[in-house]
Amino acid sequence: MIQLLVAGLTVGSGYALVALGIHIILRATRIVNFAQGEFSVVGGLFALTFVQVLHANSWFALIGATLCGFVLGLAFERLVLRPAARSGEIGLTIATIGTVFILLYGHALVPGWGSLPQPLPAFSGEASDVITAGGVAVGVQSLWAFALLLVALGALYLFFERTYYGKAIRAASNNPLGARLVGIDVRTTGAISVGLAIALAAYGGTIIGPIALVGGAGGVAITIKGFVGAIVGGLESPVGCVAGGLLVGVVEKLLQGVFSYGVADPIVYSLLLLGLLLRPQGLFAARGAIRD
Amino acid sequence: MIARLRADARLLPVLGAIVVAFGAYAHLTGNATFAQAGTYAAIYAIAAVGLSILLGNVNQISVGQAGFFGIGAYSVAYCTAVQNWPFWPAALLGVVVAALVGLVLGFVALRFRGHYLAMATLAFGLIAVGCFHETKALGGAMGIGDIPFARLGPVSLSGEAAYWFAWAVALLVAALSLNLLHGRTGRAFETIRNDELAAEVVGVPTRRYKIFAFAYAGALAGLSGAIYAAYLGIVVSEAVSVALSIDLLLMVVLGGSGGVSGALLGAALIGFLDIAGHQFENWREVAYGVLVVLVVVVAPGGLAGLLRRRATSPPRAERGPVSVVPATRVQAPAASLPLAVDGVTKRFGGLVALDGVSFRLQPATLTSLIGPNGAGKTTLFNAVCGIGRLSAGRVAIGGVDVSGWQPHRIAALGVGRTFQNARLFGEMTVLENVVAGAFRTERSDPASDLFALPRSRRERREANDRARATLARLGLEHVAATYAKDLPFGDRRRVELARAIAADPWLLLVDEPAAGLNAAERTTLHEDLLRLRDAGTTLLLIEHDMRLVMAISDRVMVLEFGRTIADGDASSVRNDPAVIAAYLGTAS
Repeated sequence: MIQLLVAGLTVGSGYALVALGIHIILRATRIVNFAQGEFSVVGGLFALTFVQVLHANSWFALIGATLCGFVLGLAFERLVLRPAARSGEIGLTIATIGTVFILLYGHALVPGWGSLPQPLPAFSGEASDVITAGGVAVGVQSLWAFALLLVALGALYLFFERTYYGKAIRAASNNPLGARLVGIDVRTTGAISVGLAIALAAYGGTIIGPIALVGGAGGVAITIKGFVGAIVGGLESPVGCVAGGLLVGVVEKLLQGVFSYGVADPIVYSLLLLGLLLRPQGLFAARGAIRD
Repeated sequence: MIARLRADARLLPVLGAIVVAFGAYAHLTGNATFAQAGTYAAIYAIAAVGLSILLGNVNQISVGQAGFFGIGAYSVAYCTAVQNWPFWPAALLGVVVAALVGLVLGFVALRFRGHYLAMATLAFGLIAVGCFHETKALGGAMGIGDIPFARLGPVSLSGEAAYWFAWAVALLVAALSLNLLHGRTGRAFETIRNDELAAEVVGVPTRRYKIFAFAYAGALAGLSGAIYAAYLGIVVSEAVSVALSIDLLLMVVLGGSGGVSGALLGAALIGFLDIAGHQFENWREVAYGVLVVLVVVVAPGGLAGLLRRRATSPPRAERGPVSVVPATRVQAPAASLPLAVDGVTKRFGGLVALDGVSFRLQPATLTSLIGPNGAGKTTLFNAVCGIGRLSAGRVAIGGVDVSGWQPHRIAALGVGRTFQNARLFGEMTVLENVVAGAFRTERSDPASDLFALPRSRRERREANDRARATLARLGLEHVAATYAKDLPFGDRRRVELARAIAADPWLLLVDEPAAGLNAAERTTLHEDLLRLRDAGTTLLLIEHDMRLVMAISDRVMVLEFGRTIADGDASSVRNDPAVIAAYLGTAS
C-alpha cells in the first residue's frame, strides 16, 4: 500500500509538472498545449544525451535538460504558437496536436534516442537502492524525484513572487492590455512563459527518469494525465495543478495495484470527463453553451 | 457558404473521375499495393467526411473519432467472426451504435468549447480503446481475427472489388452529405459556426443540431470502421487508438475542413503518402506534423481551400423572376397580449440589472424603451428573448408563459430581434443571412435534407425567393451577394432588420437601430419601422435618438437602474421631472 502510494507520488511528480506547465501556457496564451507531455519525454531524452555523450552525471544532465527545454520552448512559441495564433482557438489546438506528431516521431529519429524507453542513471547510488523505515522500503530515486519537485516549486514561487519578470508574466497573463499599457512587453513575457513551461516539462521528465524511464511513445498519455490533474485540482490555480497531478499519479498506481494495468487508464480518463462535467466554474465561459 | 458548397459539388465528379482512373490504372498494371492503398484511402475518407462537417461546418472539434471507428469495426468483427452474422446487419448495428454513442458524446460536448472539447473527446477516444482492449469477448489484446469479407450478392468484396465498393460508399456518403449541407440542416450548421447566440435568436435549436452533428460524424466513423474490419480481416485495439483519431484530424485539416471535397482529398493524400513513404515511417509522420502546423498557419482552408480560391469567383446574385410563396406566418394569438412582463428581476452577482420590471404591450403598437447607459434596457431584451435565466418574475408572449424557455423556442412563437452590435453571420452572404432569419418557418428535417427529398428542395427554393423579396422590401437587393462581414456599418443594421423580419414576426425587438446611421438612413429606418407597425407587428424599440423616439413612438417607457421611472405617451414622458433628472442629473 505505502509502496503504491510512493510509486504514485513519483509518477505524480512528473504529472504535476506537466499540469503546472499546461497551467502556465494556458494563462499566458489562452491555449491548452497538447504537446506538453511530448516535451516532457523529449526533455528526459536530452538528459540521456548529456549522460551518454558528455558523460555527465544525472545532476548536470538535469540542469542541461532544463535549459534545453527552455530554448526548445522559446522555439515552439516562435515557430508554432505565435504564427498559429491568428487561426483561433481550434486552429491553435490543432497546431499543438501537429507538434505532438513532430516530437513523437521525430525523437525516434535522433541517434541514441530511438523509440524504446531507456533508463536514466540514478541521482545517487544505484537505481534500486531503498531506504527502509518502519518496515516499509522506499526507493531512494522516488525520494529524489519528490524532493526535486519541491525544489522546482520553491524556485517557481520565488520567481513569480520576487522577480520583475515573474511579476510581469503574472500581470501580462491577468490583463494583457493593461500590462502593455504599463510598459510590459507582452510578447516577451508570453515567450518566456512558454519557455518556462517547457523547461518544467523537461525537468519533470528527467527527475522521474531513473524510475519511469525516458523516451517512448507515452507523451500523449502524460499530457492527458497532467491535464486530468490540472482539471481535478483547478486549472486556474498553480497549487491545485500540482496537487491534482500528484493525486492522479497516486490514483493511477492504486488502480493498477487493485485492478490490472489496462483498466487503470480508462478509469483515469473517465475522471477527466467527470471532472470537466462536474466542475463547471472557471472551465467554461458560463454555464450552458449559449449564454453570453 | 453556398459558393463553397457549389465548388464542392463541382469537385466531386472530378474526384470520382480520378478514382476511376486510378482504379483502372491499378487494374491494368496489376498493382495490388495501389488498389490496397486506394481502398484504405476510401475507408478513411468516409470517417473524414463526418469529421470535416463537424469541424468545418459546425466548428466543433473531435479528437476521439477513432472511438466510433472502433465501435463499427468491433461490431462487424464480433458479429461476423464470432456470431456468424452476415456483414450487412453487423455493419448496420455498428453504425447505429456509433450514432447513439455520438448522440451521448454530443450531449456531453454541449458543455465544452475549443480546447476543452478537444481534451474531452480525446478522453472519450482513450476510454473507448481501453474498453475494447479490456473486454474479453472482443479478444482483449489479441483482437478478433478471421473476419470474413463482406459480400455483395455473389461478389466477395476483396482486392479490387473492395476498392470499387469502398469508393462507391465514400462518394455516396459525400454526395448525401452535400445534400445535407445544402438543406436546412446545413444552413443551421452554418449559423452555429458563425454566431451561436444569433442562431438561437433566429430560431435555430443550436443544441439539437450540434448533437446531431456529433451523431452524424459518429455514424460515418462507425461505417468506416465496419468496412475496414471486413476488408482487413482482423481488428486489434491498437488500430483504433488515438493515433487514428489524430490521423483523421490530419486528413481533414490538410484537405481543408468543411464540406466534403477537402476530406476526400486529405484522405486520398494521406493514403498515397502512407504508401509512398512506407520505408520512412517516422520521417513521414514528422512531415505530417510539420504539414499540419504549416496548413494552420499559412492555408487554413487546406488543399480544398487553395483549389477553391482558384476555381470560384465571388458569389453573384442570381436574378430571375421571383414568385414569392408567402411564409406560413406564425399567427399572433388574437385574444391575448403580445407581451406581458411581470416583476422581472435579473441579478448579475451583486448587481441588480432589472428590478421588478412589469409592463404590457398592446398589439400593433410601437413602444420605445429609453434610459441612460446601464439602465438595463438590453438586459430586458435578453430576458424577453430567453437569453440568460431570470432571477425572478415571468414573461408571457402571446399569452404563453415563456419563462425559462430556450431562445429558439421563443423565436419560434413569432418573435424577432436585432442586437445593439448587429450580430450578423459574417461568413454568410446577406441573402443567406436573411434566409437564415426565416429558419423557423421551414420544416425540413435532416433526413429529408440528406436524401434531397422534394420537400427539402422546394423549401430551399422558396426560402431564397422570400428572402430576396424581403431584401427588395428594404431596398437591399444590391448587397444580396455580399458577405455580411464586408458590409458598411449602416447596411449591417438594415440587413439585421431584414433578417429579423424575414419570418414575419408579430413581436419585434429592435436594439438601437439608429446608432451610427446618417440622416437619410434614419429617415428610411423611420419609415420601415412605421410600415411594420401598420402591418400589425408589435414593436419594442431601444433607442437613444430622441427625435426619432418622439416622432414614432405610441408609448415611451423610461428605465433607470433596472426600474421603470416613467411610462406614457411621448410628450408626457418628455416633461416628466424624474426623466429629466435621470438624463440631466438635476439635483433633487
